[in-house]
Amino acid sequence: MRRFGDSIRIQRDYPYPVSAVWAALTDPEQLAEWLMPNDFRAGVGHRFAFRTRPRPGFDGVVHCEVLTVEAPSLLRYSWRGGPMTEPSIVSWELSATPTGCRVLLRHENLAQNAYSWFVGRTLRLGWADLLRRKLPATVGRRSRAAS
Amino acid sequence: MPAADLDENAVFAALASPLRRELLDLLRAGERNAGELAAAFAVSRPAVSQHLAVLQQAHLVDERRAGRHRVYALRAGPLRAVTDWLGPYQDFWTERLDALGQHLRDRHGEPPAARPDEEGQ
Repeated sequence: MRRFGDSIRIQRDYPYPVSAVWAALTDPEQLAEWLMPNDFRAGVGHRFAFRTRPRPGFDGVVHCEVLTVEAPSLLRYSWRGGPMTEPSIVSWELSATPTGCRVLLRHENLAQNAYSWFVGRTLRLGWADLLRRKLPATVGRRSRAAS
Repeated sequence: MPAADLDENAVFAALASPLRRELLDLLRAGERNAGELAAAFAVSRPAVSQHLAVLQQAHLVDERRAGRHRVYALRAGPLRAVTDWLGPYQDFWTERLDALGQHLRDRHGEPPAARPDEEGQ
């Protein structure tokens, strides 16, 4: 376990060989089928993006950088998208089991982002208020003064 | 709801400090007194007390007196705000890991384990 409220950790067993799972995690075409369209390449330092449908508060782009590639057992990349102000870290750990492959997914460094998200939201609400009420009032006054 | 917003603000502000997150980690294992907590960190005891005060203000930690000691305990309730933050990520990855399983089935066929005649391999 990592720090409090900081990370997500999910473990799954798949009845397929480690090599098949590793390929699904590192082949951009396969990755696009189950995760998101991307320009991933398994090279440390490679910057890439996952792209999905934009929705409110999220432009649909997740900015990433490959941090660790130890085929076929460890893959790590940074992950920054939507409300995140600093990168979080996604890591995939693969190990062989008698029936296939165990996958341990970790998504870490989320607590600091939660704080940033909250601050950002507060700031946005502040701006929203400014744009909704104060700016029109100011513009209204100025245009009245000009006419 | 300003009151709820204030609490949420205090919780996230409290969690923004790595040292305070470590304090919460220690308290997750059980109650500790001020001396025990201070001993776990390289910073001064007053500094640790100050961090504990921030955690108390966020209602993340309770303090009580036991003889000459101040004893601190975790209060998990307000951490729901954090769980609310992590929830969408948990849901997202749970769905994606399901999709990975489906993708592997589509690409490689039903797993050997699903065929009874090949069990015990």
